[in-house]
Amino acid sequence: MVSESVISVTEVTRRFGSRTALAAVSVSLPRGAVYGLVGANGAGKTTLIKHILGLLRAESGTVRVFGLDPVADPVGVLSRIGYLSEENDLPGWMRVDELIRYSRAFYPAWDDGYAEELRLAFALDPSAKIKDLSKGQKARAGLLVALAHRPELLVLDEPSSGLDPIVRRDILGAVIRTIADEGRTVLFSSHLLEEVEQVADHVTMISEGRIVLSAPLAAIKESHRVGDHVPSLDEIFVARVGRAAASDAEA
Amino acid sequence: MRSAGVAIAWEFRHRHRWGLIGLAGYLLVLATIKLVVVALGQPVKLDSPESFAFVVMVPMTATFVYLLAVFTFGLAGDLAARQSMYPTRMFTLPVTTAALAGWPMLYGTAVMATMWAAIRLFGIWPADFVVPVLWPALLAVSLLAWTQALTWMPYPLPGLRVVVTVLWLTVIDAIVLVALTLKTPEPLMLAFLAPQVPLAYLVSRFAVARARRGEVPDWRGTFARLGRRAGFATHQRKHFPSPARAQTWFEWRRHGLTLPGWVAILLPFELALLGIAGDSTALVFAILIGVLLTPPLMAGFVAATVRNANRSGSDSLGLSPFIATRPLTSAALIAAKLRMTIWSTIATWLLVLVAIPLALELSDTWPVVVERMSRFGEAVGAPRAAVFLLLVLSGFIASTWKQLVQSLWVGLTGREWILKASVFLALSILCAVGPVLVWIAENGRVQAALWDALPLLLAVLVSFKMTAAGWVAMRHYHARLLSDRTLVTGAAGWCVVVLGLYGLLAWFLSTPLFPRYVLALVAMLAVPLARVSATPLALAWNRHR
Repeated sequence: MVSESVISVTEVTRRFGSRTALAAVSVSLPRGAVYGLVGANGAGKTTLIKHILGLLRAESGTVRVFGLDPVADPVGVLSRIGYLSEENDLPGWMRVDELIRYSRAFYPAWDDGYAEELRLAFALDPSAKIKDLSKGQKARAGLLVALAHRPELLVLDEPSSGLDPIVRRDILGAVIRTIADEGRTVLFSSHLLEEVEQVADHVTMISEGRIVLSAPLAAIKESHRVGDHVPSLDEIFVARVGRAAASDAEA
Repeated sequence: MRSAGVAIAWEFRHRHRWGLIGLAGYLLVLATIKLVVVALGQPVKLDSPESFAFVVMVPMTATFVYLLAVFTFGLAGDLAARQSMYPTRMFTLPVTTAALAGWPMLYGTAVMATMWAAIRLFGIWPADFVVPVLWPALLAVSLLAWTQALTWMPYPLPGLRVVVTVLWLTVIDAIVLVALTLKTPEPLMLAFLAPQVPLAYLVSRFAVARARRGEVPDWRGTFARLGRRAGFATHQRKHFPSPARAQTWFEWRRHGLTLPGWVAILLPFELALLGIAGDSTALVFAILIGVLLTPPLMAGFVAATVRNANRSGSDSLGLSPFIATRPLTSAALIAAKLRMTIWSTIATWLLVLVAIPLALELSDTWPVVVERMSRFGEAVGAPRAAVFLLLVLSGFIASTWKQLVQSLWVGLTGREWILKASVFLALSILCAVGPVLVWIAENGRVQAALWDALPLLLAVLVSFKMTAAGWVAMRHYHARLLSDRTLVTGAAGWCVVVLGLYGLLAWFLSTPLFPRYVLALVAMLAVPLARVSATPLALAWNRHR
């Protein structure tokens, strides 16, 4: 049975020792929109994304991506996902052209023309070793292999953390490019709320392992309006989570 | 903390406290035994070389290697990398380069010297052995100082650090061994060893200064250009026909050349000994057996890197997200690793099989080998001799592969407690095996009892193995990591290999000494099953935590 939701997380709880990283979290993301997942450091964003990718097994509750269990069927799920992590652990010994050649083998929908277009746009030297690239170039290389197979679901876990504005612009551009293809979905985790505000249709706020707010961005803004003043996502976040997002981002 | 020296000392002490506590415990036990023995007026008698090795030499050597790793920062560094192994985080400390190089060297020197003094004082030495006073301490300090200098040096090629360090330490060791053979007096030994430490300090200071400035020479471009000219890279632009091939390529690039590389480094030294073997058949064959044992022995060490799930990631045991998010099943990821180990084993043995005839030819020792082989052929018959040689060679090759893969599951679980428990178990067995073997060798009744109980012992081991394999198969079945067809094909393949080996053993060892059922049990134990088939489970456990 095919699920209507691209991602369906139901009552997932996860503990690391005595700490509860996710407490009965339920999220359902329908197809074809950009979802911003926001929260302070350690709120549980990456833990939730790892459950979606199948890197963590749900201790209780269920996770379905494209209607499939990502732990039981990693090939069925991961072949349709493009993923870029904050960690960006691309193998340092590979050259850029080797990374492209290697990644290409895993995705039948890989688009050589698009990959080359992205490589040129990101100014990546094909003979350069990954470990010799700057942090921004590494993020671009990761973005290239996440996008070039035109994934149905693009998952970006804190992709712009610690990067310069030009690379952050490339990442936002990638999000826009992806949603330009009809029916594709983006899950974008960040604590840079301005960025999320620029591209997200729907925002989920997570704090201490619990979903505190999940709704379309426009509806969130409308519900927090005070007279004529429409608050920014930053202000809403501070109001709901009780912490200054800006200082957290700086930290 | 009032000074950089105190801070660096605190780091060594705090980081390695458990190792240092273990070391202190060993010395305490040694001292207690010695003091009790001396207090009781018993003469210390330790005639058996095995007992001496077990009580003094093995712990002393293990301690020396451990201290080398500690004071070179080798436990946290990448030995094969071009970059210095000196921790880069320390380069930004507001201290001079002389201090960065000097303090670890000074602390290493102090610990090595103290270690020797304690072992000399508390060690149980054979009664007729004159224990030297100073030069062993100075040798240990010199070897440590040079290891520090050479591991902290940046190199122009990956792996060059290992070659240079091993060669240089071998040279120092060889000079000391020659001096010992010539019964050189201690003052002369000291005269040779004493200048080594300041020399090594100057080299290490230079090395740390270069590393601190970020100067890492790079000759890789030259070799890559030469490779391209030789046409090695012309096929590399082709696309991979399948994900499995891409993953095998990935594994090959990560680990494939490690074993052939290490064997290629060691082979010239081992085979060079043929040059001094002359017509001595025993010596020639001893060297050849040593050479044939090198790949399986090295495979045991290399396996530690192959089984490491995430060599470069921040979490050194967990699977890197890059690999964990490959759209491949855990079984396919393991299959790629296994294919790589097969290719690596083949490459290693091609190297050995090319190098041996070449070395025999160059050293004029071919006639010695040919003559002994002819006599063997005449004694057992040419076909049997040929099959025996093929069997021995196949055994070495299979053993090399087995060493590479049998402990894969340990590292792939990504669980520190499993890794530590397996290392502890392996070391315990290693420490126990020597004395147990000596005990068996010296006790005829034990030998007879063991011989009688051999079928039972083998049967118990086989039942353990089959129970473990059954459990693994059930887990595979429930987790659906492997298809039913793959499980059945794998089990059938294992049975065929076991039957083949049993047939060969039965044909070759047709003697009443070995009943057929014993040979069948040996064949079942020799062919890997439970641990290799557990690797996809281990990886899945790590991948989906």
